[in-house]
Amino acid sequence: MQPRAKATQPPCQNPRMLPAWRLLLRHTPHLPSLLLWALVACAGSGWLAVNRLQQLHAAFETDARIVHRLLSQRVVQHDAIMATLALLQPAAAADDLHNAASPLPRLTSVYPQILAVLQRAAHSDWPPALQAELAAAEATSRRTGHAAMAGLNLPAGRYYLVLAGTPGSYALHIDLRTTIPTDEWPMDMATSPVRVTLERSGAAFVVQPGHANQGSGIRSYDFHKLLAAPSQPLDVVARRSVGLHELPWWGMLGWCLLTAALWAAGRALWRQRVARQRAEELLRLGQVARLNTLGELAAGMAHELNQPLTALLSSTQAAQRLLADDPPELATAQTAMARAVEQARRASTVVGRLRRLVERPDLAAQAQPLALPTAVQDVLHLLEPEMAQRGVVPEVSAPPDLPQVLAEPVALQQIIHNLLMNALQALEQVPPPERQLYLTMARAGAGHVALSVRDHGPGIPPEARQHLFEPFYTTRTGGLGLGLTLCESLAQAMGAQLTLAPEATSPPAAHRGAEFVLTLCAAPTAHDR
Amino acid sequence: MTDSAPSLSPLIHLVDDDAAVRDSLSLLISTVGLRVQTWADPQSFMAGFDRASIGAIVLDVRMPGISGLTVLEQLLAQGVDQPMILLTGHGTVEMCRRAFKAGAAEFLEKPVDDEVLIEALQNAVRQHVRSRERHQADQQARERFVQLSAREREVLGLIVEGLTNKEIGRALELSPRTVETHRANLFAKLGAESLAQLIRRYAALVDAAE
Repeated sequence: MQPRAKATQPPCQNPRMLPAWRLLLRHTPHLPSLLLWALVACAGSGWLAVNRLQQLHAAFETDARIVHRLLSQRVVQHDAIMATLALLQPAAAADDLHNAASPLPRLTSVYPQILAVLQRAAHSDWPPALQAELAAAEATSRRTGHAAMAGLNLPAGRYYLVLAGTPGSYALHIDLRTTIPTDEWPMDMATSPVRVTLERSGAAFVVQPGHANQGSGIRSYDFHKLLAAPSQPLDVVARRSVGLHELPWWGMLGWCLLTAALWAAGRALWRQRVARQRAEELLRLGQVARLNTLGELAAGMAHELNQPLTALLSSTQAAQRLLADDPPELATAQTAMARAVEQARRASTVVGRLRRLVERPDLAAQAQPLALPTAVQDVLHLLEPEMAQRGVVPEVSAPPDLPQVLAEPVALQQIIHNLLMNALQALEQVPPPERQLYLTMARAGAGHVALSVRDHGPGIPPEARQHLFEPFYTTRTGGLGLGLTLCESLAQAMGAQLTLAPEATSPPAAHRGAEFVLTLCAAPTAHDR
Repeated sequence: MTDSAPSLSPLIHLVDDDAAVRDSLSLLISTVGLRVQTWADPQSFMAGFDRASIGAIVLDVRMPGISGLTVLEQLLAQGVDQPMILLTGHGTVEMCRRAFKAGAAEFLEKPVDDEVLIEALQNAVRQHVRSRERHQADQQARERFVQLSAREREVLGLIVEGLTNKEIGRALELSPRTVETHRANLFAKLGAESLAQLIRRYAALVDAAE
């Protein structure tokens, strides 16, 4: 038997094995909403980052195109100058290069990027140091029909531009540094992160150095385009790398914080709602439990009392019959009567036991000073759904200097709750526009405070008025008839009084309905003492 | 003829877990000359009571362990024919409905008035005696009926249908004299004293045999 008992041990005694995610959920019930928050925060931040990158890229493209256009304009200018020179060359003065009338010397002061102007007259040579390069360029120029570059020194930013002409040819010595139009430049040349260079055959002239972190960024943009001047085929290269520090961190952080705050607020609201639902459910449960207890009590009481009563009735009736016999059976009748007495005692014991069972502790001892309006508001809050369901908006009035009352908080709430429920049920019997309910608090004589609950329902019929506080008396079908009795006992137990206000004689329509008045003892104030 | 029924006065079975109730009710019932047998719990009652006795059963509804209503349902299922009266201290309409639906003869509330209880008991006993007598007569008729020969049953069937001897002879191709002989025999075997009695007692059996 021993091993079998072991084997048949029911599996439900072991802690139930749950999937890992359910366990996780049980311990962190907010995990799903937290994950949702993380998702929303990440998505928002990602969108912000991508948006910023797109902005940067667009700005980069625009800047690069402006740079290309500006540089092209300047370089094309060189072609124009050369063409003008070639056209204007005076055939006679061709030999005198430094003639005062010649515009050539003034050219360098008008165009700062032109360091020098060289002219080769017909049948003469270029200066000896440059003869080879310039002659080659001149040949190229003569072949292509437009100017050609010579002596390109990109790191230093200098080159010659040669245009073959007749009778003389011209060469311009150009400095790229002064070619850059700094006044029209779209970027701050010192601080801009964009590196701009002019490149040709691996050599580069740095127009704008750009930021140091080239290549180490999360994203890099490139722009390549040849200058729009066939004579000077330099490549405009713009590069920009976006560093992590350029992402909109503050915006992303702000977004995360905002959503986190929303999440926290939502969670707080949710918790509040759950707590309230739970409280309402507990209240309802309590009411049901109380009703069940009452039902059980009634059934138990009926049985406990019915048994001795049955025996008592049957014994006395048997005795009656025995005594009516001819001749009367005295001995048996006596036994029956003795039994009846015994059963009457038994019934009275049952009643005594029941009384002790349902006796309440002394509420007067637990009475404490409290604000009556607050207690009323608490109950109204509890009954909000019932009020709304019946379209009742209670009118509450209390003077600001109302003294505190002496009461046991739970008992007081129970009394107010019952009175309001009665009023609401009375109001159900009249059409919605007439459903008025007044709660009036006021001083009542010396040392007392009265709470009046008046409804505009059909009122209490005169024949019911005198039985109202009797146990098990009810005007409602299905009512237990214990509500007002309980309220009255509770009130009396804490030294208060619950009364039905006298009916106005021949009530006008405006004054119909029932009014209950709960008179409580005012709490002694410091001033009284 | 019905002398085989118990000659003693009817017996009331009273089942209640409360001794005081048992004592007082049994005293009350005995004042009208009915015998009472009391039982403190349903189990011993169901195991030990005399099912052949003439009388009635009084059951308390609220008993520890098993409800009087359940006892009633079980006894009826076992074919107990005594009428049953339910007593309850806390009767609801629903319980009352269930009791009558289950086959209770009467449903009384505690405390019960003597006249109500005694009238209910006397009605129940009368009803039981009548049903036992009817049952016994049926039994006797059945026993006699099986003693008839096949030809006699045929003749009886036609007699019950209201045919004369001549008509029976024609229908069965017998001489009226033979029919007369069968007729006398079956009257003797069935113990019938008149044609009316014969038809009243055996018409149902003839119908059932056909």
